Amino acid sequence: MSKELEKAGLPVALVSAMFPVAMQVRANRIVKGVSIPHPCGDPSLPKELDARLRREIVRTALQALESEVKGPTVFSPPSL
Amino acid sequence: MTTVVHVVNQFFAGLGGEDKASMPAGMIEGSAGAARGLALHLGEDAKIACTIYYGDNYFHERKEDAMKTILDAVRSAQPDVLVAGPAFNSGRYGLSCVELCNAVADALGISCVTAMHEENPGVGAYRDFANVRLYCLPTAETTAGMTDALKRLAAFAIRLAHNETVGPARREGYIPRGIRRLEKVNRPGVERAIDMLLKKIKNQPFESELPMEVWDDMLPAPPLTQVRDRRIALVTTSGVVPWGNPDRFRTYRNSHWQKYNIAELKELEPGKWETVHGGYNVVYMNQNPHYGVPLDALRALEAEGAIGPGKLYPAYYVIPGNQGSPPVMRRVGQEIAADLKRDGVEGVLFVAT
Repeated sequence: MSKELEKAGLPVALVSAMFPVAMQVRANRIVKGVSIPHPCGDPSLPKELDARLRREIVRTALQALESEVKGPTVFSPPSL
Repeated sequence: MTTVVHVVNQFFAGLGGEDKASMPAGMIEGSAGAARGLALHLGEDAKIACTIYYGDNYFHERKEDAMKTILDAVRSAQPDVLVAGPAFNSGRYGLSCVELCNAVADALGISCVTAMHEENPGVGAYRDFANVRLYCLPTAETTAGMTDALKRLAAFAIRLAHNETVGPARREGYIPRGIRRLEKVNRPGVERAIDMLLKKIKNQPFESELPMEVWDDMLPAPPLTQVRDRRIALVTTSGVVPWGNPDRFRTYRNSHWQKYNIAELKELEPGKWETVHGGYNVVYMNQNPHYGVPLDALRALEAEGAIGPGKLYPAYYVIPGNQGSPPVMRRVGQEIAADLKRDGVEGVLFVAT
């Protein structure tokens, strides 16, 4: 799906906990997520830290959209 | 005695070429046109009850009428098996063969076999249907392969009529449908996997038990400059939808997408959203939908200025991704891309589970 968006000229930051799979399907801008049932955050953290981690992930995704890449590239949020 | 129904287009029924492509569907008792060739290969224990035909354009332009005529004719002939084609590389014909076989198999529970060239667009539909009662055999590109195709269609049809067990595509020679079946083997998985691994290390050929889709490299879309001035949208396969699942997504194999308005929202309140997805434990996502649709973070970054005012698209897009087949997800991707482009979106945040 994300590849069809890219084909249409839209850069995609793919947040996924399964980044090896994302690499395998040749997604280009991959952002490391926390885990499959909760890619954007971590329910074991206190509420405030969970929200902060989520902001980090989204901020990393925005940076990925600004980055020149040549092929599948993984962007890691600082805490992950 | 085995009873067979053969379905062909107007050309192979011997009724005319392109000038007759609008001819309505109809039925001829016994075999006609190419069906005579099929009868030769079926042998003496099988007979062709009738030959059903339709114009190539008629089928696609008047699909409901065509299907009704075909289903009625098949129902009254009560065959043990249905044969459609061969369609070689004719697109309209191949697609109609696959569609009518799928309908007959579903509505009447009759096994169907068709045949066409592997690049025929009908093959894509065949893979999408993945119907256990429908088989498609590969043929040559042109009618030069007619005799061979009819011979193999006849042999396969007889086996289906006798309810013989049909093995996997690579052994039986039909085009793979993407159906995985459990199979009993003598050696445990760990031994088979180690065998494969050793062969791989030694650069020897080996055969995976789970063939994977081959993915093409895709040139990355160019990056955005000044992302804060760009219109961005959120797309997700997590399955987060409004409470009550108003668009009736299923937990697996969905074929449609939706977008849900978030323009006025600062965050997604737990209890107003639910997660429809059969591929992972949805408890966390139900407690906090932001794990799939991080709206709270997007709003915070908006307040910080990392996302410009009004630059976040006022809706998010969703399809629960579980067991989504590659052709369906490609189509969904194309449809969402068209929608985003129409509304001037320039970049996408995609949350996958």
